[in-house]
Amino acid sequence: MRKRILHYGIILAVVIVVNFFIPRLLPGSPLKTLVGEEAGSMTAEQKMGVLETYHLTEPMIVQFAYYLRDLFTGNWGVSFSKRLPIAQLLTSAAGWTLLLSGVTMLFSVVIGSLLGALSAVRRRKGRDLGLVLSATVLDSIPSFWIAILLLCVFGGKLGWFPTYGAVSMWKNYTGLRWLADVLWHMALPVLALVITSLMPYFSTARFSVLKTLAQDYVRMARFRGVPERKISVGYIMRNAMVPVFTLLMMDVGYLLSGSVLVETVFSYPGLGVLMRDAVSARDYPLIQYTFLISSALTVAALFAADVLYAKIDPMMEDGHE
Amino acid sequence: MNNRVVGGIGLALLAVLMLTAVFAPQIAPYSPYAQTGAPFEAPSRAHLLGANDVGQDILSELIYGTRNSLLVGFTSAAVAMTIGVLVGVLSGWYGGRVDRLLSKVTSFFMTVPFLPSVIILSTFSDSSVLSMSIILGALSWTGVARVLRSATMQIRSSAYVRIIKGMGASDGYILTHHVLRELLPLIAYRVVTRVKSGILSESTMSFLGLGNPVAKSWGSIIYYAQAKNALLTGAWVWWIVPPGLCICLVSLSLMLIGYSIESPSDRRREAEKA
Repeated sequence: MRKRILHYGIILAVVIVVNFFIPRLLPGSPLKTLVGEEAGSMTAEQKMGVLETYHLTEPMIVQFAYYLRDLFTGNWGVSFSKRLPIAQLLTSAAGWTLLLSGVTMLFSVVIGSLLGALSAVRRRKGRDLGLVLSATVLDSIPSFWIAILLLCVFGGKLGWFPTYGAVSMWKNYTGLRWLADVLWHMALPVLALVITSLMPYFSTARFSVLKTLAQDYVRMARFRGVPERKISVGYIMRNAMVPVFTLLMMDVGYLLSGSVLVETVFSYPGLGVLMRDAVSARDYPLIQYTFLISSALTVAALFAADVLYAKIDPMMEDGHE
Repeated sequence: MNNRVVGGIGLALLAVLMLTAVFAPQIAPYSPYAQTGAPFEAPSRAHLLGANDVGQDILSELIYGTRNSLLVGFTSAAVAMTIGVLVGVLSGWYGGRVDRLLSKVTSFFMTVPFLPSVIILSTFSDSSVLSMSIILGALSWTGVARVLRSATMQIRSSAYVRIIKGMGASDGYILTHHVLRELLPLIAYRVVTRVKSGILSESTMSFLGLGNPVAKSWGSIIYYAQAKNALLTGAWVWWIVPPGLCICLVSLSLMLIGYSIESPSDRRREAEKA
């Protein structure tokens, strides 16, 4: 446990340091970075003032100390493109992204591994080709494209789902109405994400069930007359699911990336859209803090998955790298 | 289906796409930069896929886009493979302190979130093919390194390697003449998957507006279509669907090739690792 905390702690520390140095080592004026195009219309005194507010006139090491202090006290400044405190923007965006990713993950794991298991069982009857082929084709589709198509067909043409945002604007729903509204807005983004993240779960579950089916203890159980239901749930599923959990654990980080794209398409107000907006406005402080928060979330999720995984598979305890 | 047939179909598809990239000026009906139609023109005999917001022929854009996609796909794969092979083989061969250090670096790169890192690095650098490839390659070599590390470890402990080592062969000789040769099938499979994900990532970057704004790319066609509201006007049918299909096609062709060269034992190892 202590080893794990140390491992992820070091990674987080490196991310924090890299985040400090990237903008300082790359070419470009820091002033333009901080206030955007407004820099052109400022007087020399105003420019100096901005540089001093951000401590850019101090030596590097002092700047780093200020950076750390601001980072840990939540004093992240105000985004010049959104005219709102960066901390506030990020808290709300992170919530939506976590919701989207969490729901997606749940569906992908369940649907993917069920289909994989189904395909493995069918393989013995030679009827799994269709499932395998469709999984292969699905895996070659870019997620943002499938998201756009879903948006065009079900949002634009048929008008069944909203094409924009996470909640209806100008309507202050409460309670169940609000929940229904959120789910309605989430449907297409989640569908797009699930379609494009099914494949790894499908193939892992398929392979792992195939392997388990051939195990001696499964054959033994059949000979002993253990009911088929009990074999498939108690023997096969339980053992075949361990690799699926491993995959889940490694995938946590990837999922955040996927949701960045799909959010962009549906203007879903999560970290992805925030980052895209920040990039197109060249709002560097916002870009940096968004990067930092998404990295921190990824590290935290990986850490949680790692701890959880050790509980499922005790053999992992010391084999951790 | 037989491996050879699958691989053949994949190779044929890829060959067609590569020829398209090379002979784009001969194949494309117009220059993709010239205004040859009316803005937002619907498909007609003169413009099979219509024209974009500034009157450029979409079909020609699509044909020229093949160049950028394949180029970034292959160069980013080259970067990723170079780092991955070096780290994996050195780590597996030398073990000990070298391995511990390289494994730390590898697991750091595995933890960094891919897309946010790509975004932040590319906003702070130019958008040339080379820097795009370096960014993508530098962030996607970890899988290669992991697999090659464990494969190298196996080879190192095999009897024949220990014998030639005992006979006085140098590390460099064994690595280049035996280890790399044995790793070749594993490496070949990974080259294919890296090219595939490089192409997907290039289209993703261009779609986010992070690509080279001048170069034609499938991702950037979709980016402009979305920015100009093709989603709600019905123009998406000829403006967004075709570039997406091209991306699917190239990625499918690489997947088929990969499937045909991936050995059954490799597939098993992959599934066990996953």
